[in-house]
Amino acid sequence: MEYVAGIDIGSTQAKGIIMDENGALVGKAILDMETNMGTAAERVFERVLANANLSPGDIAFTVATGYGRYRVTFGDLQVTEISCHARGALAEFPNTRTVLDIGGQDTKAIRIGDSGEVTDFAMNDKCAAGTGRFLGAASFALETPLSDLGPLALKSTRPVKITTTCTVFAETEVIGHLAKGHLPEDVLMGMHHSIATRCASLVRRVGMAPEVTFSGGVSRNVAMVALLEEVLGAPLNVSSQSQFMGAIGAGLYALDNLKTGYRSQTAHAIDA
Amino acid sequence: MSVINTKKEAQDARIVGQRLVNQWLANLGTAHERGQPVAYVFVMGNAIEILRTFGFEMAFPEINSLQSGVRKSAPDFISKAEDFGFSPDVCSYVKADVGLMLSNMMHPSGVQMPKPDIAIASSLCNVYIKWAEIWERRFNTPAFVLDIPGKRFAAWKSTAGSPQHLSDARWVEGQFRDLIARCEQITGKKFDIDRLAEVEENVNEMIRLWIDILAFNQNRPAPYNSMLDGLTYMGVLNAWRGTVEGVEYMRLLHDEVAGKVARGEGRVPNERFRLIFSGTPCYINMRRMIELFESHGGVFAASDYLTYAAGGLDSAGLFYDTSRPLESLAEVTTLASQMGLSNHFFSHHMLAQQMNDFAADGIVYHGIKSCRTVATSMADNREYVTTKHGMPTLYIESDLIDPRYWSDAQIKNRVDAFFEVLEQRARLEGR
Repeated sequence: MEYVAGIDIGSTQAKGIIMDENGALVGKAILDMETNMGTAAERVFERVLANANLSPGDIAFTVATGYGRYRVTFGDLQVTEISCHARGALAEFPNTRTVLDIGGQDTKAIRIGDSGEVTDFAMNDKCAAGTGRFLGAASFALETPLSDLGPLALKSTRPVKITTTCTVFAETEVIGHLAKGHLPEDVLMGMHHSIATRCASLVRRVGMAPEVTFSGGVSRNVAMVALLEEVLGAPLNVSSQSQFMGAIGAGLYALDNLKTGYRSQTAHAIDA
Repeated sequence: MSVINTKKEAQDARIVGQRLVNQWLANLGTAHERGQPVAYVFVMGNAIEILRTFGFEMAFPEINSLQSGVRKSAPDFISKAEDFGFSPDVCSYVKADVGLMLSNMMHPSGVQMPKPDIAIASSLCNVYIKWAEIWERRFNTPAFVLDIPGKRFAAWKSTAGSPQHLSDARWVEGQFRDLIARCEQITGKKFDIDRLAEVEENVNEMIRLWIDILAFNQNRPAPYNSMLDGLTYMGVLNAWRGTVEGVEYMRLLHDEVAGKVARGEGRVPNERFRLIFSGTPCYINMRRMIELFESHGGVFAASDYLTYAAGGLDSAGLFYDTSRPLESLAEVTTLASQMGLSNHFFSHHMLAQQMNDFAADGIVYHGIKSCRTVATSMADNREYVTTKHGMPTLYIESDLIDPRYWSDAQIKNRVDAFFEVLEQRARLEGR
């Protein structure tokens, strides 16, 4: 039995998966990012190997993705998270044609063609509003863990309109609203609305076609899912493995290489 | 005076080009000492031909600013301008020029730039006029604004000699006569129409050669990168326009590029994808930006920038009739400006033609912080080429010269993903 690995070094979290030659997941690991991307990559690799009960020598091919993909020294190939998220989403939802991935600092909308190829993509530019970071600011300002934000927001009956587009200044605005006596859930729902609006815009920019898949860490937020479905006017596929979608896509690219010997022309290791 | 100094230069037009640009800058530094008046002009809509007859030496503040970007002085200049009170949203070219003024006109090329004796702005860029007003206030420079009619609507074409064209040309010609009167006042010289014919003859020759040079890139592999080498070539085209040296340079360049085509020599050794660039360059990190594409085997075979930043002269489809120099100047300027301006607006048809002529695999749109006007048309344009022509496109943003707007990791990510899209498409098409 041969195994491949997919390593996704994002801005906020490092993810790793191992799959066997049939594409079955045999291990996964996730940890918070540290400043040294190379070390983070090695640590997540160690963890996923332990999870799969394998050793480094068992891995025939590794594909690295995410911003830190060129820092994965043991990677055989680097593929952007745009292609990997599309691939990962298609594997679980073969009829998906639009993917929205909201990560820690990055949000991307990806359009997929009928042959599974990426036809267009759009990302947030210069600004982390509309990304997980915005919720991070909310978590900090409301002194509420990230995982509790969704359920709390769903309790809202009168969402507050959040006007600032700046993630940093959003904290100030949240504190201001709380000081005026607005309920935390209403302020929180307002922040969710802000994110949903920005992300929906990215989706529309690439052209929304069913089925739409929502991936990335923020897709585990139940309020975000509900809101996006409302704003986009479409049901969303959400995987139980949504945080690993990029890594899974990377693993599938690794599997391609194992099977067909195809090596992407994009595998130039320029020092980023 | 030959433009070629050494044997090495004879083999590399880009080296000659860079030296000519440096020489032109150095000449500006001594212009007033030599008793020559200086005109500040812009790359679009400038009446250089008329100015040359009066002995004006041309300074291009846009080129000064881009050079400050390339030479890494832009952040300092921009900072000075913003400290003075200019908003971050103002065009970075303007701010770099203001910074230059606040630095006693000391340019990073080592030249102390002369103050202008006249400035020519035009309606081809709305910032030009405001920029010229800054010189009016600071240097008491007489500023002349050329009002050049643009395209009326999308599919409208002004053909040479049509009533519409001639009517527009007469409007422009009237302004040229005003300009001539102004120049006579400023320089104390009489207008010499024969000299105008001479200058126009030189421009005709330069443009004939330039048209061929642009077309050479339709060959596979493309002999040069329109957004790297092409920028140097265009710099010379602008700075030495209408001069004997300019003609000689274009001949050297023409022969060199023709030679590369004959030998099948491409700019990118393993040319994999041919791209069109739409928008202005990123001078902050010019080489880095091109490297991001060339490392994937991508070459910019064409760009709309090389047309509009050369005043649209290559696409006017008309040359100066030197038997009627002034009327012809107006006729050509009118058409060329419309074609040049059309690369900002109503440009989708021209882009579709370019896609075909250059066998493009994709289009890269570069929006910049400095110019929202240019960026405004990109969304529609992109939508058109994507839906009507199935052309893959990439949109990236940075700036002309302000490094605060260059985000290396973000741009690299988008470029890498774009090449993955091109590869997937190529695989599906069996290439």
